[in-house]
Amino acid sequence: MEAPYFELRNVSKYFARVVANKDISFSIGHGEVVALLGENGAGKSTVMKILYGLYKADEGQIFMEGKEQKINSPKDAMALGISMIQQHFSLVPAHTVTENIILGNVHGKIDYEACKKTVKNLAQQYGFDIPVDAKVSDLAVGVQQKVEILKALYLDAKLLIMDEPTAVLTPQESEKLMEFVKNYTKKGNSVIFITHKLKEVMEVADRIVVMRNGILCGNLNSKETNEIELARKMIGKDIVPAERKKEDTKQEKEVKLKVNRILVQKKGELPILHDISFDIKAGEIFGIAGVSGNGQDELCEVISGARKVTEGEILLNDEDITKLSIQERIEKGMGYVPVDRHRDAMIMNMTLSENMMLKTSFNKKWKKHGLIDKTKLDAYTKKAIEDYMIKAPGPDAEAKGLSGGNQQKVILAREVDNGKELLILNQPTRGLDLGAINNIHTAVLEERNKGKSVLLVSTELTEIFDLCDRIAVIYKGGFMGIYNHDELTTGKIGLLMAGYVREGEV
Amino acid sequence: MIVSLLSRALMMSTPLLYGSIAEVIAERTGMMVTAIEGIFLMGAWGGFVGTYLTGSAFIGILMAMATGTMTAAIYGIVCIFLKQHQVVTGTAINILAAGFCTYFQRVLFGIPTSPLKIDPLSQIAIPVLSKIPVIGPIFFYQNSLTYLVYFIIPLSYFLLFRTSIGLIIRSTGENPEAVDVAGINVNGVRFVVVLLAGVMGGVAGAFYSVGYLGMFTTNMIGGRGWIAFAICFLGNWNPKGAVIGTVVFGFTEAIAIYMQSIGGGSYFPNELFIALPYILTIVLTVCRKNFNVPAKLGVAYSKEN
Amino acid sequence: MNAKIRDMIVTNFLAIAAGLILSGLMLLLLKINPIPVFKEALTTIITDKYTLGDVFLKATPLIFTALSFAFAFKANLFNIGAQGQFYMGSIVAIAVSLQLQGKVPTIVLLMIVFALTMVAGGLIGAFIGFLKAHYNANEFLVSMMSTYVVLALMNYLLRTFLKESKGEYPQTDALTRDAWIPNLLDGTRLHVGFIVAILVAIGVWILLYKTPLGYRIRAVGSNASAAEMSGIPSKKIYIITFFISGALAGMAGFTEVNGVQHMLIQDFNSGIGSAGLGIAILANANPIGIIFASILFGALNVIGNLMGRMPGVNVPASIVDLMQGFVMIFVIVSYFFRSYLENRREKLKLQKKAVGE
Repeated sequence: MEAPYFELRNVSKYFARVVANKDISFSIGHGEVVALLGENGAGKSTVMKILYGLYKADEGQIFMEGKEQKINSPKDAMALGISMIQQHFSLVPAHTVTENIILGNVHGKIDYEACKKTVKNLAQQYGFDIPVDAKVSDLAVGVQQKVEILKALYLDAKLLIMDEPTAVLTPQESEKLMEFVKNYTKKGNSVIFITHKLKEVMEVADRIVVMRNGILCGNLNSKETNEIELARKMIGKDIVPAERKKEDTKQEKEVKLKVNRILVQKKGELPILHDISFDIKAGEIFGIAGVSGNGQDELCEVISGARKVTEGEILLNDEDITKLSIQERIEKGMGYVPVDRHRDAMIMNMTLSENMMLKTSFNKKWKKHGLIDKTKLDAYTKKAIEDYMIKAPGPDAEAKGLSGGNQQKVILAREVDNGKELLILNQPTRGLDLGAINNIHTAVLEERNKGKSVLLVSTELTEIFDLCDRIAVIYKGGFMGIYNHDELTTGKIGLLMAGYVREGEV
Repeated sequence: MIVSLLSRALMMSTPLLYGSIAEVIAERTGMMVTAIEGIFLMGAWGGFVGTYLTGSAFIGILMAMATGTMTAAIYGIVCIFLKQHQVVTGTAINILAAGFCTYFQRVLFGIPTSPLKIDPLSQIAIPVLSKIPVIGPIFFYQNSLTYLVYFIIPLSYFLLFRTSIGLIIRSTGENPEAVDVAGINVNGVRFVVVLLAGVMGGVAGAFYSVGYLGMFTTNMIGGRGWIAFAICFLGNWNPKGAVIGTVVFGFTEAIAIYMQSIGGGSYFPNELFIALPYILTIVLTVCRKNFNVPAKLGVAYSKEN
Repeated sequence: MNAKIRDMIVTNFLAIAAGLILSGLMLLLLKINPIPVFKEALTTIITDKYTLGDVFLKATPLIFTALSFAFAFKANLFNIGAQGQFYMGSIVAIAVSLQLQGKVPTIVLLMIVFALTMVAGGLIGAFIGFLKAHYNANEFLVSMMSTYVVLALMNYLLRTFLKESKGEYPQTDALTRDAWIPNLLDGTRLHVGFIVAILVAIGVWILLYKTPLGYRIRAVGSNASAAEMSGIPSKKIYIITFFISGALAGMAGFTEVNGVQHMLIQDFNSGIGSAGLGIAILANANPIGIIFASILFGALNVIGNLMGRMPGVNVPASIVDLMQGFVMIFVIVSYFFRSYLENRREKLKLQKKAVGE
């Protein structure tokens, strides 16, 4: 039997606080597409970073065509024909496409014109439409990904590792990517595809390697398995039951939030948000679907008060809050879970108690004789820990010691309590495992049923379809339309997300 | 008179140019060389000692490069490989440098009865060029370190923006991960540029002792390392900007010295002139907008966790 | 947790010891045997009340400047200008004291001077904070430069308005006993200012860790973006923090002018700003830790001075700077070893567990 192209044998990696990989062994053949399937935190990226030489394995060996290889740095990996596209792209935003592609691969004086030409030719060869002179920061994420792929092709990679490549793409763009993968492997090249999406795996992979909690728990031929089996292997127990169906009470409820013709525009630039109008009623979940980076974050910031509008108004319970500060809006009963919890919603080196009072530090309820009423705050935090089943040692535990899902639950507990009137959720389940996602979905539905208004931004279509009563699709800062839950299909929403004209217009 | 003032301004600019260009290159990789004041001081001391002991200014300047590099190396090891805070470490090193050269000055020379002197670098007139009216006496009647910096300015620009090394340097400060993924040792790149800053900062320091005053005192740098640091910020992390910034500062300093020499103190207090470069830094820090700050300036790089 | 505290004590102790030993080795270069010299200095400190008092006396202004740096550091701000804020406090202290002495009772005078030195340092701080908040000026650079400007101002005043009546040297007249901070211990120079410093340190600790304002300051320092998103205005926090930081440094002017020098002279206490920074690092910016670290630095200072005065030995005064510099560097390095030890411990624990499974 011919030796496989690459083989990992008993690779283990320990980080300071987690076992990232334990005894991982699998192989990949020439022309094969292997999907590395697992939930977030299962250790998929780590094992691939070991293969790519970014991390050093604590134990184990790597073989190429039967010969052991020591891969100590990405330089070694590249020499063997391995290239890896990181989940968060490793591009220099301030530099041009060409500069990014030739980084580390030219010597001495750079002949920019010649480099540009090479890059342009290469792009044409694969049918990529990329402006080689543009700064990466000016490109859409989908294009940035193509730059990353081009970087690998420039190095003449034979094994391409892609970490969650479809996370930032529209359904149509994903399809194109799959096509590229198929063409690329037809030429005898191999692809390892890291993902947590079952559907993609079935579509593109020849073989599927499943990981859970740092160990390998399945190595299956895609023709001999199905999504249900994969899900069970990935999660380690039977699939979490689907979301509860919404009980549709058809009677008209009062409008809580009203957003009127919002425009956000910097002088001399294209608008970030334009012509956005919608309202959310009590007991309604209003969803905003779209590819990330189309103005969702800015819209949430505008409503929460972190960003000023150029024009337009925002009303909460018929009161104009357009000019109010963040703090005043919090006092009016607005809760907000921002997309980047590490950056915007949590202070990792503070305790859970301290994090629970982050939004209400001006509120008198935490004050006693001018000092912080720690007894009261701890009791409040303890209750949140119990109510939301947060896995934490106690109110005095530091936030950074918690898992991502539990951190998110802390934030959700805080914001649900702050948001007596309106709850803004920006991708509340991003990066969480299925169990945590289910918990959070249940909590959100419960709040809705209690009569709270919820604004839910998500790039996961399943989440949008599972939770939302009404759905708006956002593209380049404007709404493509607002639809009732049952008016949309995946195909249609995909087209809208890609900016194809609204229905009824030519 | 204006000519001599400008010639003076250019001379006073020389060490700031060495310092600020070194700082620009280093900061482009994300390393703020906050030990720059200490590097200057160690350079001044090393230059003096080398020159005094051997009688050769050339060896003195080599010695200045060595002491400057040594200081930078300590800074680099602590900040890059041990990943400690750049501002905190730099400040500690500056204190240590001050103690170190005062102490070793004493170890080497005891308590001299009269101040130790060396011959400062002499002005060299470049044949033909120095005869050009106005420009000649300003640009081509300077000491050798100033002439050297004429070459370093375009060279640094070429290095940063036209070569593969420059591309790596600039990428390291913006997104070290991209550099790492490209198979280049991020911390290695950073260490090398910090050492380079040590060499150049050492020369800058030697300019004060060997190139100009012909003596050494512990307070002779008096914050000029910090001014070089400031110029790098104000010059938008670009050698061109550093040149403009330096000329402004050199000019201010020359005016201050000039005003003192003609007895301007009878109209304005001398202290005003002494404080002028520092006030100017504050004003420019406030006025200067649209910074092109390297995205990862001051952040240590570690890939695990 | 226990292992963490043990690591902290052990590594800090080793860092300080390494700094002292290295400085001791430096003495060998002057052909001085460091062991008897250190021994004699330490014996003097322990047995001589006056010298012991001096340790705490020297620690007093250091507590203030270290608190100044540490306080701003908690908001992730760098106030490198404590020296200048201290000078500003000193200028105000001497000017006001000279005006008021003999005219108002001592206690009233001291309270007024104390308050005004706070305001003087605080205003410089607030100015830096204002530039940071509203012009996004680099506070590190501005505070650094402000010291040189205040220094020039002080030299100017000493040459003109504040110059002694004799008109000989650039220094002020001496204060009369009316304006002195009372002594704490007979037979020493130690004054009540030391107690004030300790109370202020405790106050700073309470402010930072027990009040909503301190909470907000730490929140901005740990994650300015999250704080801003949560309705905490970071600009306001920057100004407030810098005011307090500057005020803390200004107070050192009060204790040094009214408590020790009783006059203002050129270049006075020129190293306490940077030493304060080193102390803050040594104490991990903890206000209570700063008290002890300051006493250590005070002791280093006194040891250095004692060595310099020992008959026939002739140790240069710069050994103090050298000791402080070495100790600081080693303390910074010890931070690395502490996190290294902790990571290794966690990793081993995991590896054992993984094997056990």
